[in-house]
Amino acid sequence: MGRPLKFNIFRYNPEDPASVPHMESFHLEETDAMTLYIALNRIREEQDPTLMFDFMCRAGICGSCAMMINGRPDLACHTKTKALPAEINLMPLPVFKLIGDLSVDTGTWFRNMNERVRSYIHTDKVFDPNADEERMSNELADEIYELERCIECGCCVAACGKANMVPNFMGATAFNRVARFMMDPRDQRKTDDYFEIVATDDGIFGCLGLLGCEDVCPKDIPLQDQLGMLRRKMGWASVRHLFDKILPGGDAKKK
Amino acid sequence: MMSDQTAVAQVQPVRTEAYLDFLQMLSGVALVMFMWAHMILVASVNLDLGGGRVMNWIAHFFEATYMAQIGGPMIALVMLAHFVLAARKLPFKAREQKEMWRHSVRLNHLDTWLWVIQAVTAFIILIMGCIHMWTVLTDLPITAQKSGARIQGGWWMLFYIFLLPMIELHVGIGAYRIGVKWGWIKRSNRQFFHGLENKITLIFITIGVITLFTFYVLVKPM
Repeated sequence: MGRPLKFNIFRYNPEDPASVPHMESFHLEETDAMTLYIALNRIREEQDPTLMFDFMCRAGICGSCAMMINGRPDLACHTKTKALPAEINLMPLPVFKLIGDLSVDTGTWFRNMNERVRSYIHTDKVFDPNADEERMSNELADEIYELERCIECGCCVAACGKANMVPNFMGATAFNRVARFMMDPRDQRKTDDYFEIVATDDGIFGCLGLLGCEDVCPKDIPLQDQLGMLRRKMGWASVRHLFDKILPGGDAKKK
Repeated sequence: MMSDQTAVAQVQPVRTEAYLDFLQMLSGVALVMFMWAHMILVASVNLDLGGGRVMNWIAHFFEATYMAQIGGPMIALVMLAHFVLAARKLPFKAREQKEMWRHSVRLNHLDTWLWVIQAVTAFIILIMGCIHMWTVLTDLPITAQKSGARIQGGWWMLFYIFLLPMIELHVGIGAYRIGVKWGWIKRSNRQFFHGLENKITLIFITIGVITLFTFYVLVKPM
């Protein structure tokens, strides 16, 4: 017989004027290889069909099922209940707009983020569908792919103290996105172009270095290294600019 | 037609926030170095078991070269500037404070708690550091006997035994965080530097406690 599990789940439907935010408890018996995704589906099927939560791929790829699991953001589909105590608290991700219960709207937030960091390859070259693809080394392709693996689940944003305090803060996922394009030889943007996007107090200079993002990322993306690289690069770019401006013979327009 | 100035303003990004953050880092590094050096120099009173000859010689050197008279107020200014620069990142609005506290309790994440400690100790150091600097710098020359007499008064002992861990925690965590924020501490060496930060902080607190003991018990006051 499996462990008896108690789930304390946040319940609130903003669409229903009669709904009041509260925690509701559900009980299940643990089964082999049970994930939170399986547990939530069983609760919805067997106990309360009105329970709202997001899921799609069940395999840690789509990023839909991120939630606060005992206070820590993670994906429900790849969290095994045996790794958790018998009492499990589930809350929706903070920072994002609540849709209902455990479901939040990460889509709007990420769309805004991607627009803000202009998350696409900027080039003057006209695309020729008949030409061979531009080549890049395997090592560089691997490095870009390492950052490209972000599934936009929102865990890093939920774990960020700054993002919790300042709603306009860009968050580690945005810095990771910028770092990815800085690496890409097909993107013709220069340091000053990226500087304009991220080098503000709502961007990389607002990052407090708490590393919540680094410690919770379910895809284990090296976020800490991107934050450090970006701040150093943008910081030195501003110092270089200052020296170019004040030193005789300097060229402030140089990028 | 646009004037040249307008055109320049349009293409040049605003760099103020970058400069301020860079200055915050520079002043932080300077203060970390100063605090560690300060602790080592004051601990020289232990070398002759509170006799004070080494410490008095060092203090005399700094006063004869006017480093204490000029350097002291300069350090006070750097500390004030560092506070203003770093305070730009602190939550001053009640809503922000509430969110940060709720987040810290909910996530229960070591590096987040370390930041909360840094933020709280910053205010304590600002006030107590100013009191300490005013007291010492308005009563030059510095001698082991005068410092001993002050600490043996009792209240100053309490003052310093409280201030010591505040400063060492703030400085140790600050050094680690500067390394993280500016990318010198990476994922690959984070554990090592975290451990190093803990050890350095503990060593300096221990040196500080021994030094306070020497001032309280061994130094013969004037």
